[in-house]
Amino acid sequence: MTTSRRDFIKTAGIAAGVVALPSALPAWISEVDAVEAATAAAVDKNALADIALNTARRLGVTYADIRINRYRNEQISTREKQVQNVSRSQNFGFGVRVLFKGTWGFASSRDVTPAEVRRITRQAVDIARANSVYQRKRITMVPTPRIVATWKSAFEKDPFDVGIDDKIQLLLKLNERALKTNGVSFVSSSMGFANEQKFYASTDGSRIDQYIIRANPQFSVTATNRSTGDFLALNSLGGPQGMGYEYMEKYPWLSEIEQAGENAVAKLKAKSVEPGKYDLVLHPSHLWLTIHESVGHPTELDRSLWWEADYAGTSFLTRDKLGKLQFASKIMNFVADRTQPVGLATVGYDDEGVPAQRWHLIKDGVFVDWQTTRDLANMSPNKKSYGCLHADSWGSISFPRMPNVSLQPGKENTSLNDLVAGVEKGILIHGDGSYSIDQQRYNFQFGGQTFHEIKNGKIGPMLRDVAYQSRTTDFWNSCDGLGGPATYEVGGSFNDGKGEPGQSNAVSHGCPVARFRGVNVLNTAAK
Amino acid sequence: MLLTEKDAREITDKLLSYVKADDATVNVGSENYSHLRFAANSFTTSGARENTTIGVTVWIDKKRGSSSTNEMDDESLRATVAQAEQLARISPVDREYLPTLGPQTYRPVNGYAEGTSNISLQNRARAINDVIAGCEKAGVIGAGFHQARGSAGASATKNGNFNYARSSLVSLSTTARTPDGTSSGYFLRNHFDVAKLDSKRVAREAIRKALDSRQPKTLPPGTYPAILEPQAVADLLSGFAFGFDARNADEGRSPFSLPGGKTKVGQQIFDERINIYSDPWNPELPGSQAAQGGIPAEKIYLVRNGVLENLIYSRFWAKQKDKQPTPGPVNNIMESSRPASALEDMIKATDRGILLGRFWYIRGVDPRTALQTGLTRDGIWYIENGKIKHPVTNFRFNQSLIQLLAPGNVEMIGASERVGSSEAQGGSSALLPALKVKEFHFTSASEAV
Repeated sequence: MTTSRRDFIKTAGIAAGVVALPSALPAWISEVDAVEAATAAAVDKNALADIALNTARRLGVTYADIRINRYRNEQISTREKQVQNVSRSQNFGFGVRVLFKGTWGFASSRDVTPAEVRRITRQAVDIARANSVYQRKRITMVPTPRIVATWKSAFEKDPFDVGIDDKIQLLLKLNERALKTNGVSFVSSSMGFANEQKFYASTDGSRIDQYIIRANPQFSVTATNRSTGDFLALNSLGGPQGMGYEYMEKYPWLSEIEQAGENAVAKLKAKSVEPGKYDLVLHPSHLWLTIHESVGHPTELDRSLWWEADYAGTSFLTRDKLGKLQFASKIMNFVADRTQPVGLATVGYDDEGVPAQRWHLIKDGVFVDWQTTRDLANMSPNKKSYGCLHADSWGSISFPRMPNVSLQPGKENTSLNDLVAGVEKGILIHGDGSYSIDQQRYNFQFGGQTFHEIKNGKIGPMLRDVAYQSRTTDFWNSCDGLGGPATYEVGGSFNDGKGEPGQSNAVSHGCPVARFRGVNVLNTAAK
Repeated sequence: MLLTEKDAREITDKLLSYVKADDATVNVGSENYSHLRFAANSFTTSGARENTTIGVTVWIDKKRGSSSTNEMDDESLRATVAQAEQLARISPVDREYLPTLGPQTYRPVNGYAEGTSNISLQNRARAINDVIAGCEKAGVIGAGFHQARGSAGASATKNGNFNYARSSLVSLSTTARTPDGTSSGYFLRNHFDVAKLDSKRVAREAIRKALDSRQPKTLPPGTYPAILEPQAVADLLSGFAFGFDARNADEGRSPFSLPGGKTKVGQQIFDERINIYSDPWNPELPGSQAAQGGIPAEKIYLVRNGVLENLIYSRFWAKQKDKQPTPGPVNNIMESSRPASALEDMIKATDRGILLGRFWYIRGVDPRTALQTGLTRDGIWYIENGKIKHPVTNFRFNQSLIQLLAPGNVEMIGASERVGSSEAQGGSSALLPALKVKEFHFTSASEAV
């Protein structure tokens, strides 16, 4: 781990980004952007919203919203010395959601015209009406203030204004650097960028425009031993961020890929772990995923209400445990935060007009609150929506999704080495690897990218074939050491899946380095 | 509205007419999608989406660029082609470029039903109401998901190929839980024809499993003989046929690799009764008429009588290795060469073992052995002396798929039926049998229900 990487991620996690307006269109992409701009200008979103909301009101709904959204994506993928794919896509359409007799109905179309908005709104009501005949428990929503606003995410350089050439050159340079290490046989690298231009209007009177940028770079370095047939891959520690192209320019990608190449070759020769109980020192590039799976998901109220029972599952956090369960050790505080700068789930407002918020889920180790939306709020103790509604497309119905959930750093200035110094027999883990957790979020298993033995307070040689298995509350209660603010980094997932039909959500998780006592480690090399 | 062949051809012709690049492939796809979800014995969300998308990939001096849009006016189509060409011009040479295909002849498949694509809102509401009513009557809490999709689209190349196809898919899954949350059952089925989706069976089986799973006992983790129902096999293996990549094997990074750059083709890797193949014209599981790169799909065996017969060569890798590109797989069928065993007979033949119906959160752990981890879920029982003795609490497993099907581990094979992976929410399909295996590796207990 280089100091520069730490500094970068730390800064990214806590500094406010500079908000930038999209700059003038670059010449190389002018034609398609010009057409997009012309289409956008031709669409009067407020007039279309009036049509949808008035049509819905006339048909007797208690609530309606329309989202008219444009999504742009760019993906560049390379492998060794060649570019495998350069693509751009864009997607435009609208969706109308109605609440009719306590029953949701939703319909959507790519044809953004007044006649189609009228037809689709009727279709949304038809769907709700057909189902409402058999509806057993009527859905209700808590109110929210009327909002008229424009919001832009914190990025410095819009990646859609940066030429493809610069991006390709950076990726090929990364690959070249990785291949310099003897024993590295394959390398792939990619960068993806997403832009959401979202418009929301509702029968509450709200009208909200949002412009969001996210970046998703990654690489994978494979070392092989052709004589034994052995191979393994190491992935980048730097993951997706709610940032613009400045992430590609400022993060130390070159030194990280060089290190990954050396690590992959070393790991191939490393000793296979002896299964048993170990103390674990977990780096933020690893721990974010454990937080995501075992803190983020079980605190979703819809899971606790069995709304996700058929797929994602329920939660071991039942409502009677609120305010009582010692979820984690007393030094731990987990905060949900949709206002966190550069967070992947950071927004100005959610997809039903509720402002972004910050609140504690776990306070001093005790489970104290849920993630909620307007239709879940009436079933939560404080009847409050924390603004967690999200849809991944104009064509998807919005439903509860995870905000950024982060473990707060310790108050002392504790370093990684300080935590390691207190370990007799342990393992230091960097990077996220294989992950799996049960449908109530009790039992989990996590791998990683690199594993270093810790012996008598010192970091030793590399290990391989490591995964740890634990039970959520046992694991978090076994934490006896947190790094200070200087060790805090932000990781995250670009595509967190949930719901039926499955939808994708981008979400960040920040944390300091942390130490856990006596965790069960298994050897994953099948004999 | 789904595109007819005439509509689709007009669009691909128009796109190709805008192309100035040396080579191009263009495609258009249209979709009608609708869903209804329920949970806690009540409807939650329900919605519909209509969309049409075009995609363009072009090559200029072997340099490649791609672009796509769902805005269908002429100006947007023209701009999308221009954007792909702009991207190609500034990209390095695509070293894996091969000229797009000239005219091909496809043997059509029948995987489309109008009733699925244009689902009746009233019939669907009534069918799901019946599922919920069944749950209420049995005293369990139901949650589930009904989805229906119709798709129609075409792809065309600058070298003269044109391929139009339609397909549809409907699925229903149901999870039933006892109100105290100590027991759960699940069932999922899908089909391309809504008339052949038996929603009553889905509800009946989910409820039965929930009721039969009450008061489970905890068993120690370890290696047990196990019977995997077709759903459990689908959860592990529904994508298996698509992992037989020749390039990965040749490059030494696949469970089908051998030291020194060789592969296991020709070796007995699985039990001698096991056949894994792809057949586009299977009436129960129609596949696509076009395989990778647009080549006409054919029936192909990956594993025949347990022997690894074929790995999948992409057009590029086939050229590198002087082979023919593989015309598949376009679906995943596993069946026994010998007469199938009934599930009841598998139970009768078990002295001591585990019966299970669903796996969850399956993730790769070690690609060398196709080692997977995951959990059991929604119904698992202990068998003793040929009889189901009692339900069991859930386990985590760590199991190599290669070892699962290896000679000596497979004891009995059931009749193959159409199932979908539960993690894919019924969106994937395969024809898979129940399996009775000698060893399955459960590595820890899970309290989750």
